[in-house]
Amino acid sequence: MDQSFELPDSTDWLETPLSLLAPFESSLRCQVCKDFFDNPVITSCSHTFCSLCIRRCLSAEGKCPACRSSDQELKLRRNWAVQELVDAFKLARPSVLDLARRKNVRLARGEEETEEPAQKKRKVQQVEEEELQVPETSSQGRRTRSQRSINSSVVERTVPQIMPEVIEDSQDDEEYMPGDGLVACPICFRKMKEEAVFPHLNVHQQEEELPRKTPTKPASFGSLKGTSQRDLPLPGKQPERLPAINYSILKDNSLRKKLRDLGIPDWGQKQLLQRRHTEWMNLWNANCDSKSPKSKRILLQELDVWERTQGGHAAAPSAFTTSNNVMRKDFDANEWSNNHDDDFKRLIANARKKSEVQVRSTIPGASSSSSPHQEGTGLPVNGARVELNPDTDDHHVVDLSG
Amino acid sequence: MASSVAQKRLFHEYKNLSTNPPEGITAGPVSEDDMFYWEALIQGPEETPFEGGVFAAELKFPRDYPLSPPTMKFIGGGVWHPNVYPNGTVCISILHPPGDDPNHYEHASERWSPIQSVEKILISVMSMLAEPNDESPANVEAAKMWRERRSEYEQKVRDEVKKGLGL
Repeated sequence: MDQSFELPDSTDWLETPLSLLAPFESSLRCQVCKDFFDNPVITSCSHTFCSLCIRRCLSAEGKCPACRSSDQELKLRRNWAVQELVDAFKLARPSVLDLARRKNVRLARGEEETEEPAQKKRKVQQVEEEELQVPETSSQGRRTRSQRSINSSVVERTVPQIMPEVIEDSQDDEEYMPGDGLVACPICFRKMKEEAVFPHLNVHQQEEELPRKTPTKPASFGSLKGTSQRDLPLPGKQPERLPAINYSILKDNSLRKKLRDLGIPDWGQKQLLQRRHTEWMNLWNANCDSKSPKSKRILLQELDVWERTQGGHAAAPSAFTTSNNVMRKDFDANEWSNNHDDDFKRLIANARKKSEVQVRSTIPGASSSSSPHQEGTGLPVNGARVELNPDTDDHHVVDLSG
Repeated sequence: MASSVAQKRLFHEYKNLSTNPPEGITAGPVSEDDMFYWEALIQGPEETPFEGGVFAAELKFPRDYPLSPPTMKFIGGGVWHPNVYPNGTVCISILHPPGDDPNHYEHASERWSPIQSVEKILISVMSMLAEPNDESPANVEAAKMWRERRSEYEQKVRDEVKKGLGL
């Protein structure tokens, strides 16, 4: 039971005061593997997936899993903004979650009431400081959305309800630059004077247009552009992408030789060779999308995992059809029913209640005989129905049938 | 056994379903030693003859999940429905891979894709209980009865539900 719950997941936020971070976190996760995006790439239909996930989907089906429009591996492009988002969020996640959970405990203990007003006061002070700064910053053209909204609220002199959130935003900035008045570039996080940010951003833009190494992350950008840029002198050898093979024109032996040349296992029937080659090609090409490509040895280990779970060493299909499952089911039935006893009881209790109501409403005469329950005795049919309604989630069923 | 993509993804789905379950649905692996075999409980949707029933089903996941869809089968019988085979196997479009369309009526958009999930399957099955699709029935008898003798169909479903609950 516990094992699965150690897996970080967007639902971790749900029981904290920051429950709105759950959808935020899910949008940083790949819809195929449900994990954080790993080497995110964007399809021609503008959907983002992990490089390996979408490659596997495309080699199986040739369609985008989100919208089912046809796409090709060759058209995938890396999505660096998303990678940065994921990396930054993963870094912040443990401490934010920890803070949120502790806050939750404090809230539960009722300690928050004394703390909240004090904190608000401090925020208001910060607003005033911000307001003083605003005229300068706006004239210098560092126009972020938060700043603009602060400006407008200064003009109006009324503090709208969204204020606290906006301020928290600028508070964060403040934490990054403790009093030195320096601002971090949103792209490379290098600190600089405020007025230098805009010219500096232009540099980034140029870098994107004519690919060049960034001053801050030479290694990463070097390998990003990697295979497509042969004129770049690269540190270490750059993996070259593997081309797709038209398996139908290859004889078993020439395919086997190809696998041997690639340094991957070459045993098995043609179909297995084909699947193994596809998996290797996906692993390899996804690795080419990585900022820090893994070594071939690690990729071979990953291929080995595939071999054991889906490839030639995986349990034969018969092993997980009926016979085995029946055995497993019998084996764990007690434990499982213990674990889910409450669910069963709850559902069955609900069901009994409802079916009682139904019996009473459909067969009015049966109401007295079929319900020895205390609630059924004195109440008229309609009364009982009304009383039970709160348990039933009407709108939900409407959703389902829609 | 090495942990595969499929297992990890199933762990994610399991956790999501346990911490944030949709109304009327419970699902999880029978044993955490085998993430590829789940059991699910579905409440019969309200204002349908299935209302009040609790239906147990098994879900079997292929090794290449989520590239391929799982199969779903009601266990213990008692689901009299045009889209449920007499042996309990559920036949709805979300459980069919987009590649093949055995029934020649489904839109690709309704069928399985790796971004679908156990939760979406179970919700679809709930809405299938409420609104049968009789274009290509899995249970011809039930479909005929549903089409031609609706009240008899509903009574039969209600009787099965009651039998299932031991009432």
